[in-house]
Amino acid sequence: MATQKQKLKIGIVGLPNSGKTQLFNNLTGTYSVVANAILTTISHKKTTCEINEYLCEITDTPGIHDLHAQSFEEASTRDYIFIEKPDVLIMCMDSNRLKQSLNLTLDLLELGIPIIIALNAIDETCRRGILLDTRRLFHFLRVPVIECIALSGQGMDELKEAIFQAKGIKWEFKYGSVIESGIDQIVRKLPPEIINQRKIAGLLLLNDPYIFDLIKQFENITDNDIQEIQTRVNDTRKAFQGNIARMVNQRRSHWVDDIANEVITQQKVTPHEFEKTFARLCRTPLTGIPILLFIIYLVYLGVVNCANVIAEWMDVRLWGPVQDLINALVPAGFFNDFLIGDYGILSLGLANAFITVLPILSVFFLIYNTLEDIGYIPNLCVLTRRFFEKLGLSGESVMPLVLGFGCKTMATLTTKSLQSKREKYIAIYLIAFAIPCAAQMGLNISILGRMGLQAFVIAFSVLIAVEVIAGLILNLVLPYEEKGEFIQELPPIRFPTMKAVLVKTWYRMIWFLEEAVPVFIYAALALFILDKTGILMASKLFLSPVIQGWLGLPLEMVDALILCMARHEAAAGLIIKLISDGLLNFTQCIVAVVITTMFVPCFANIMAMIKELGTTRAIVMTVIINASSFIIAGCLNWALFYWY
Amino acid sequence: MSIKHEKEEYLEKLWSMKEDNTEDLATLSSEMNHADHDKIMHELEMDHLIHTDNGKVRLTESGEERARQIIRAHRLAEKLIFDALGGDYEAGACEFEHMVNSEMVDSICILLGHPRECPHGRPIPQGDCCKRALKTAECAVMSLAEMAPQQSSRVAYINGQSNPTRLSKIGSLQIRPGAMIKLEQKTPSLVIQCEGADIALDEKVAADIFVWKECTKNRRGCFQDDQPQKGTCKNRAGFGFMRRRRGGMGN
Repeated sequence: MATQKQKLKIGIVGLPNSGKTQLFNNLTGTYSVVANAILTTISHKKTTCEINEYLCEITDTPGIHDLHAQSFEEASTRDYIFIEKPDVLIMCMDSNRLKQSLNLTLDLLELGIPIIIALNAIDETCRRGILLDTRRLFHFLRVPVIECIALSGQGMDELKEAIFQAKGIKWEFKYGSVIESGIDQIVRKLPPEIINQRKIAGLLLLNDPYIFDLIKQFENITDNDIQEIQTRVNDTRKAFQGNIARMVNQRRSHWVDDIANEVITQQKVTPHEFEKTFARLCRTPLTGIPILLFIIYLVYLGVVNCANVIAEWMDVRLWGPVQDLINALVPAGFFNDFLIGDYGILSLGLANAFITVLPILSVFFLIYNTLEDIGYIPNLCVLTRRFFEKLGLSGESVMPLVLGFGCKTMATLTTKSLQSKREKYIAIYLIAFAIPCAAQMGLNISILGRMGLQAFVIAFSVLIAVEVIAGLILNLVLPYEEKGEFIQELPPIRFPTMKAVLVKTWYRMIWFLEEAVPVFIYAALALFILDKTGILMASKLFLSPVIQGWLGLPLEMVDALILCMARHEAAAGLIIKLISDGLLNFTQCIVAVVITTMFVPCFANIMAMIKELGTTRAIVMTVIINASSFIIAGCLNWALFYWY
Repeated sequence: MSIKHEKEEYLEKLWSMKEDNTEDLATLSSEMNHADHDKIMHELEMDHLIHTDNGKVRLTESGEERARQIIRAHRLAEKLIFDALGGDYEAGACEFEHMVNSEMVDSICILLGHPRECPHGRPIPQGDCCKRALKTAECAVMSLAEMAPQQSSRVAYINGQSNPTRLSKIGSLQIRPGAMIKLEQKTPSLVIQCEGADIALDEKVAADIFVWKECTKNRRGCFQDDQPQKGTCKNRAGFGFMRRRRGGMGN
């Protein structure tokens, strides 16, 4: 085992939504977002820390079901195991899904890497009347099995101990003479530096879509070699006259069943689970839609009655005195303007971030994080599936869209796994177009709330309509393709724990401040320079036909649109200021929100789009989105004008 | 690892012992001659399937019911192999009885015209189908999409071998032959519960997953407990052979 100087590489693997990231946070003492949802972690996260005086490099990975990858995230986890060769794997086992976890464990045991099993969420299984015999599980698997509850941090000390006692046990499963000889032949063709050759050969036979990418990463492999490997794979498949995958799975599931039967004890009488009933009610249209509307209304009430009040109080109590002080110290003129003028770095930069935006975001995130920990949001994909189907999105692409309400960048990245190009395109477009991300949503609610519930309803109806029409048009325009299928694991509904929600909100606030405050300040500075050089005024005059004539907005909105390009939150702060200055009325407020929501997706989102679609397509898409946002906002302006 | 197979063999033996009018514990242990004899007897007793007393052993009511099903399957299988296939009926039937469910047994019974005796001449216990003298066999499986909400059943097979991506996805979620599935809801999408996980599916996918119909109707063989309760069938997590397969799980 590692000496004090060597770094011990530890990988945390497990099923999706089994609590890997929570375990990672507990072990490393850092914080990454945890949520009761699948696809929360889509990229590896590495941290070096000390455990029991050993230097360890711990990696958190996206969830996998088995080593046979079905999506890009799963393939990346597998590549981590094969290429980075971790010294110890912590298998985060969801006790509720023991069989699925055992299936994965079996795959990992075949690799011969030392494994520790963290049996997570045993509190939930207890409540469900399922008892797991940990001693027996240890007996069958012959690797350490540690009971733990990651959420409350129980069992972590034992887990840390166990890391240093983990031993490599290599299991070898035989699949019959035809398959075995096929595997032998393929292994001979694989480059010698690949570890786990047998497993890779097995995956080749199972027709894993990502495995060739892995092999191609090794330098001295030629196209010729790959050709030969492919031939052998085909030969073996031909020689085995059945379905290899089926045979292999059957063997493995026997093994899994045998262990599960011995380990699980199920009580005959179990309490009715409120969570299950609630989940069902949320997913059935008759009850689910009222629940959804009620939740949106609650969020609205929370943001308007709580956040806006806090923000106003902070404005008067905190920002007021600072402003007075600066006015007293710095006489009116260039420096006063530089600090607290219309485009001052303190007023438009710091105060905008801390006093206007932060309270709104903190209240909104508190509610949003609670919903996230309940697991409500992913369950929405069942309720909204029919709706999205009309927009040409079937099945697997619904999840990225639903995730878009959290973070658009991450949602765009998760479209990587979509099989159908057409759906991928539609999904990325719709995510970038009119779906507000969590931060945007909170601020939009806050802005519209100042104008009353009616404004909120109108603005969001328009956004939904835009999304529907855009989807329908894309659906007609793009060439038809076979629709992807919908098989989606849903997270269980859980009671949220206050502590986890608060911690998450705290970190989200810190991240917002770290990321956004510099951007806010730079943007203010840029505007200040543009203003002082007169470029801003010139561009305002140039744009006035569009802004004032077509959109019916005051010229100050140009500032907001410029800020929007830097950070949507900054624009929202400015709009709130315009409202309190009495420069925006009911109609203008709605138009302003609609246009800022649709206008230029944030920079990170554009980068994600470039990554998924290529530069040209991403830029074309961004341009189309911007153009249509102006057209739609203008139409809305005139419609509202005639209506009222 | 699991001893359900052995337990079934014991029940079978006890049934034939009853036919021969003996209740001697020593006969049982000598004829079975199994290394895990004590463990098997202990588990059978724990499951309230047998009753031992003073060197005597006999089946309880629920034990008798279960033994009757196994014997019926075994002897019908012998009959099928003997009559229809003309093979080595003893060896085949021994494996067969552990693999079929009562729906399939009934179908075979109908196919063979409700035979009364096995090739050895021992009586075949009558099934529900014999009493009703059914002439046509019903389809024993249905697709997942045909299930009623809140109903549980066991997966029989999965169609669509031509779509390996989907198949491996379904497989990795542990939806596979033998797995218990509970249909949580049907609209707007199907949501099933399988091995502790909630999974949402398309109708298209659901139409290719077939489950045993067995627990949809109140018929004999459905119940394992001493007193069958009418109308509670669909609230149960598996019946007949399903529970038998899970023998070690504490049912």
